[in-house]
Amino acid sequence: MNQDQVLTVQARAPFELYYRGSALSVSAINKVGKFDILPGHADFFSVINPGDILIETENEEITIPVTSGIVCVKDDEVLLFLNF
Amino acid sequence: MRRPNVIQKETEQIETIEDLTGVFESLATTQIAKVRDKVEVSKEFFSLLWSKYSAIRVDPSTRITNREDDTSQKGAFVVISAEAGLSGDIDLRLVEAVLHDYDPKMTDIIVIGSHGAQQLEQRGVTFTHFFKVPQSDTYIDVSPVIKSIEPYNQVKVYYEEYVSIGVQNIKTIDLIQSIKAMSEDTEDNDNIITENETIFEPSLEEIADIMETAMKSFAFSQVILESGLAQDASRFNAMATAKKRASELVALYHLEYHRAKRSENDRQMREVMVSLKRKKRSTNRA
Repeated sequence: MNQDQVLTVQARAPFELYYRGSALSVSAINKVGKFDILPGHADFFSVINPGDILIETENEEITIPVTSGIVCVKDDEVLLFLNF
Repeated sequence: MRRPNVIQKETEQIETIEDLTGVFESLATTQIAKVRDKVEVSKEFFSLLWSKYSAIRVDPSTRITNREDDTSQKGAFVVISAEAGLSGDIDLRLVEAVLHDYDPKMTDIIVIGSHGAQQLEQRGVTFTHFFKVPQSDTYIDVSPVIKSIEPYNQVKVYYEEYVSIGVQNIKTIDLIQSIKAMSEDTEDNDNIITENETIFEPSLEEIADIMETAMKSFAFSQVILESGLAQDASRFNAMATAKKRASELVALYHLEYHRAKRSENDRQMREVMVSLKRKKRSTNRA
């Protein structure tokens, strides 16, 4: 992982914005198992399983409980569509 | 003329109604502001979701609708009403609009909201499904409704539209068309995502399915939210009218109370004067 790089993250539900800003990592669970997204991650599109999503920023760790979700990673930009 | 203590008691009751309608009025105002904020957040959500959906280049016209040109099958009317009364005449207008277009042979009715279900039952109209209005500040679970409309080729949604605090209309939309219309507001997407450079888990097809469900849910949540806003505005108007009427009644009762009180004082004074006169006469005789 390149220490200078960070992710740009948006985590949203239809009627709520959970988080928008930079982050060091995003962790979630999909059909394959637990996965982490770090800066430099390959472009990635996945359905998220119910559980908790963890967003680690420089100052804090944000946990979001999800019932349904989709994650889309492209060029270190992470979009999380949650709880729809 | 009624006795002052009876009038006073009734005045107190009317004043309680006046206070209650005032509380409902301010609750409706707060709710309207809250829903407006939510609508703004939701527009951004849909715009981002649609941009990703269109980037994976599946054909929404064949996938979202899942329709065939089979007109022999029944269509569905989804009626979104309020959960309870006290929302003015808006649900009545909604049900009248539904019944105007309703053909029992060609249409099944799915009702959301107890008030609408009640109004339909009163008119002897049967419905195939009933759901309570999903209640949440942050999450509207429309999955049972989505499941109930799956067998239908055509889904028409009847809901209440908020125009302004004073004006609410009854609106009808084709659910699928509304998704397409929402997508027209979003920017064109030139960032195509293909399986060559992107990892799809579990697969592109399954992800597209989930995104479509999300968009259908979203379209439903939007109309439920919009209906809620219209109901709140209608409730605000009904409460404002009731409060005004209660205030007028309180003023009338106060006037009647003072008249009755004065009349009672006059009567007591007359009785005192009469008894004084009698006493004076009997003293003079003696």
